Amino acid sequence: MQPRGVFWSIYREALPVLAIALLGGLCSGLVLSGLLDSVADFPGLLVMVPVFLATRGNVYGSLGGRIATGLHQGLIQPRFEWNDRLVNAIIASVVNAVGISIVIGSLSWGVLTVLGREPAPLRVLVGIVLIASLLTAAVMIGGLLTLLFAGYKAGRDPDNLVGPIVTTLGDVFGMAFLFLAVVIVEVLVS
Amino acid sequence: MALLTDADLGSWGTGHIVRTMFPLLVVLCAIVLWAGITLEDAGDLLDRYGLLAVMVPAMIGMGGNLGSILSARLSTRLHLGTTTFDPTDRLLWANVAAIFALAATIFTALAVAVWLFGRLVGTPLTLGQLLGISLLSGLSIAAIAVVASVVATYGSYRLGIDPDDTTIPIVTNVVDVFGMLVFLAVSRWMLVG
Repeated sequence: MQPRGVFWSIYREALPVLAIALLGGLCSGLVLSGLLDSVADFPGLLVMVPVFLATRGNVYGSLGGRIATGLHQGLIQPRFEWNDRLVNAIIASVVNAVGISIVIGSLSWGVLTVLGREPAPLRVLVGIVLIASLLTAAVMIGGLLTLLFAGYKAGRDPDNLVGPIVTTLGDVFGMAFLFLAVVIVEVLVS
Repeated sequence: MALLTDADLGSWGTGHIVRTMFPLLVVLCAIVLWAGITLEDAGDLLDRYGLLAVMVPAMIGMGGNLGSILSARLSTRLHLGTTTFDPTDRLLWANVAAIFALAATIFTALAVAVWLFGRLVGTPLTLGQLLGISLLSGLSIAAIAVVASVVATYGSYRLGIDPDDTTIPIVTNVVDVFGMLVFLAVSRWMLVG
């Protein structure tokens, strides 16, 4: 293909997906601007936001990539059934997500304390990320499997679906559940 | 039915997945923490111009998306043996040009969308300022994403690692950090001076 043809084919294929990701990012941004009001009550909250969102992408991007490969190799069928590989991959992603959320809370608290910034108590920061990551796990796994299976059955290459699905769902639900977790912890602490 | 053990499942075992993924997650987490501290430091700017907070997730997410598109294409071309990282390769430049064209389109749309929202809630920011911030930081982030994709893909290839496994996590996390730094620096420069 000529360079001009390559240019337009990438542009046309990617633009619709990026437009959807943009909508997801904007929704997530609206939630973030709402979250700013709580920052005064929980110093350290803003530090965790980019780390929490990036971790969603890393954990569920890897799960999605694995499932896409499994579908291609015929190791996984595109329906909800008890499959040892699928169940193991899902359990691993939950273990990773929950484990890393404890690391995020502790690391943020530790770094801020070392920098002399007086963050919110350790248990509060860890509690917020832990609640948010458990809620996000349920929606991400359910949503990712449903959309990947549906896309695969409709003849789409699951490899091309994983990235946009994970980014959009992760941004929207990650921020929404982080907000909800802050509300829950606010009630518990007061 | 009982779960099969790791020995039966090979690379699909829970233990295997956690052992290979978790250390990487911790390292990436420590890197992106830098972006978080930058965001916390910019709290005063975000309090004054609330619309900037609305732009943050789209801004850094989009850099990662653009980088992932380019990395996926570069690694597929490497697997097919159709790319050589020759600077005179016109198809490589067509890929890069498409990434910048996508960035220009999406970041214009971001500025307009945020401006429309600002009209509803009231904001001191003008459309010109939002376009300036969005396009200047957006195109810089696209440039970082392009460099990160090419370096990560070429590096993995030279080290004999399948770029499909490495480039996307590297590129998205690198762009997360630099995207935040660039966006907040550009905003501060345009609005505060």
